[in-house]
Amino acid sequence: MIKQNLGELEENSIYVLREAKSRFNNIAALWSMGKDSTTMLALSRKAFLGKVPFPVIHIDNGIDFPETYQFREELTKKWGLNLIVAESKIKPEMSGFSCCGENKTVALKKVMADYGFDALIVSIRSDEHGIRAKERTISPRTRDFKWDYKNQPAELWNDYSSKLDDKGHVRVHPLLKWNEIDIWNYIKQEKIPINPLYYSRNGNRYRSLGCTHCTRPIKSKAAGIPEIIKELEDTKVEEREGRDQDKEKSYVMERLRSLGYM
Amino acid sequence: MKISEVTLLGHKDHGKSTLIGNLLIATGSVSEARINDAKRTSKQLGRKFEPGFILDSFQEEREGGLTIDTTRAQILYNGKAFELIDVPGHEELIKNMMSGASNADFAVLTVSAKNGEGIKDQTFRHLYLAKMLGIRKIIVAVNKMDEIRYDKKKFDDIRSNIRKFLMKIGIQEGNIKFVPISAYNAENLLKKSSKMAWYSGNTLLDLMSKESNAVRKTEDKNLRILIQGYLESSDGRLILGKVISGKVKEGEFVSVLPQNIKSKIIKMYIKGRRSKSSSMGQNVALKLNATIPSGLRGSIIYTIPNSCKPTKAIQALIFSVKDVRARQTLRFNGNSLDCNINVEKVIDTTTGDIVNKPLKPLNAAIATIGLAEPIMAEPFSKSEDLGRFVLYYKKEFSGIGIIL
Repeated sequence: MIKQNLGELEENSIYVLREAKSRFNNIAALWSMGKDSTTMLALSRKAFLGKVPFPVIHIDNGIDFPETYQFREELTKKWGLNLIVAESKIKPEMSGFSCCGENKTVALKKVMADYGFDALIVSIRSDEHGIRAKERTISPRTRDFKWDYKNQPAELWNDYSSKLDDKGHVRVHPLLKWNEIDIWNYIKQEKIPINPLYYSRNGNRYRSLGCTHCTRPIKSKAAGIPEIIKELEDTKVEEREGRDQDKEKSYVMERLRSLGYM
Repeated sequence: MKISEVTLLGHKDHGKSTLIGNLLIATGSVSEARINDAKRTSKQLGRKFEPGFILDSFQEEREGGLTIDTTRAQILYNGKAFELIDVPGHEELIKNMMSGASNADFAVLTVSAKNGEGIKDQTFRHLYLAKMLGIRKIIVAVNKMDEIRYDKKKFDDIRSNIRKFLMKIGIQEGNIKFVPISAYNAENLLKKSSKMAWYSGNTLLDLMSKESNAVRKTEDKNLRILIQGYLESSDGRLILGKVISGKVKEGEFVSVLPQNIKSKIIKMYIKGRRSKSSSMGQNVALKLNATIPSGLRGSIIYTIPNSCKPTKAIQALIFSVKDVRARQTLRFNGNSLDCNINVEKVIDTTTGDIVNKPLKPLNAAIATIGLAEPIMAEPFSKSEDLGRFVLYYKKEFSGIGIIL
């Protein structure tokens, strides 16, 4: 895994975050309490002089890990976050696809409509998945949250000139260029608080973090950040190997994203 | 580490995605899971293994055998890192090609040597656009050599035609390299092909390594800060901006143009902390001792004195994607401005010649442009950031331009 220049990545993300704040009237960010969206919050604090100047949304299906809920409470307090919890209680008959697809997307649509957000910061990275690598930095969604991936807007140089249809919103992707290992190097450099589930316990750790139903840990002895970085330097396994919703059927990520998933 | 951005160029089906797929495999830069996914899909579609599926992730791309949108993949070779940018080769997808290629440090063009394929209009057009977008170094990978029995003469013919075109549009001879390859069989990518003993040059990856120091930034050392917006802080209103060239210190006197606001920088913040000085590429937050009005987004901060003057008339080279009309919207550094475009000379982008025809999509033109508001335009050759713009007609992207 290639280690990129953290200073350049950081400046690029700060630029994109400030662009979102300057361009759009009512922005919010998704926060899953995972390493990427927490890093995005740390970058926002750098961009806006120590504050996160927009609400952060947790789409809560009620079955996240206890550690995740605890981490949410601690960091919300520590960083003075304006947290919005959008409930999307999972029902027993739901599969991973329908939970991530319909359930979470319905909750997201509701919270976006209730608050009238016109831009949503989402901490996806292009090295996570082939479909995410096709994304623009600023990417429009239609009124019904569809991603028109066959006709994405032009995005040349730093001209993020996506025009939204008047009723839709844009997704802002400040971490698109980061690799997994860059995130961990940055967490280490900046001493960013992190969800303890990423650290090995009893020979297992979570490399990619979702809810309790769809996420499985990997075998790992990495009990701290330097060990995680070392582990990633040598791995040939995909980061989202433990995420069921990516692989129930072919093109499931494409279908999920085109329907409004993150 | 420094990562060179390399855009692929070339006509559809000349092997751009296949080439990147096999570069990823040859350099061990892709996971087994992703290779297996590409293998599985190839089999499901009843085809032989297609390495391009590692990049072409959309169902429509795989089933249709084309790249719809640009994507990126990183490789490491011999201690050098590259980000390979795949782009669509279809004419109607040229806006996606431009989105991918716009920031590249250098380009790799694929051109198929297979009978009936060869150099196409789109081959030349991509090269023309690359030059216009600021790319100065081109590696030409003459592909599908395995399908023409590694015929040296065919390679030489393609080389001589492409070299002629590149020199005509102003790429220097020393910046053009050629290599015969088979992207599908991974010949002359990492390892030299024994079937092309007549070729004594470097493999594609070695040629890329030699270009890995290519840089495209041309900005001089003068200070330019692009203003992005504001931050209302406990310290009052701050200007948010990016240093696009030069350096600035706290305490320095600057002017904001075109508004011509002169002020001292009282405080400067970088990455959330007070900072005495800043340099190119950094995002700053500035406290000035002048009143900061609204509407400064897109304005530029210079040191005093400076020779840059606001202008409402520019001369530019434009590339038309959709019909360029007389009255359009011009996007310049994050702002939208109404403009009048007067086309003076039309250039056929497949020959580089000036032609006596109206400007049609996929061609270029020299034009004079009148603007409703003054901007801080500079020639692209002097400042890339202040020398380029994007054209829209209503809400539709219609082209790009660079200032002459």
